[in-house]
Amino acid sequence: MNFCVYNRDIQVGSIRVLGVSSSSLLMVGDAESIQLAATFDTPPESLIVGPFVPLGPE
Amino acid sequence: MLQRTSSINHIKVDSLGISSVFQIGDSHRIQALSRALAVQREAEIFFDNEGNFASYPIFSEPIPLIPVTENVKMSQQNLNPFLKVGNIDIIGVSSSSVVHLGNTCHVSMEARIKHIRHLLTDKEQT
Repeated sequence: MNFCVYNRDIQVGSIRVLGVSSSSLLMVGDAESIQLAATFDTPPESLIVGPFVPLGPE
Repeated sequence: MLQRTSSINHIKVDSLGISSVFQIGDSHRIQALSRALAVQREAEIFFDNEGNFASYPIFSEPIPLIPVTENVKMSQQNLNPFLKVGNIDIIGVSSSSVVHLGNTCHVSMEARIKHIRHLLTDKEQT
């Protein structure tokens, strides 16, 4: 696949972002390859009802 | 191949923490990893030495990424070599995040978060 890019005028007035968090990227510029991955889970067993016991030690 | 120049008139970042980067200028490679145990408890109790990443599979299992098989030949013509941004306003940058003003080549960032909710039993309302 041939992919030709012609960069002419690009001008952004204003960017307002509340938070850039957990391996996120806010970039003004060129990049060859960007690969972002995130995984999170909240399975049923992660809901613990009971006395406050600390999780397993480090 | 000539790269473009990012020109930002005004940028404001209120807080930058937990291994985050605010980069002005070009870079070659960005690699970030953030692992978090997000524990929410019904009462305000904090233990100093708790949580063990090894005991949860989410922190070690591979994240399936589809390999790029397409053979892409890219050619770039910068008729206007500027990327202009008037104003950037960011309140928070946290946990291995990057605010990057400039060019780079390869970016590979990963975040793994395990959420845990800790509720009290009905009779033990403190």
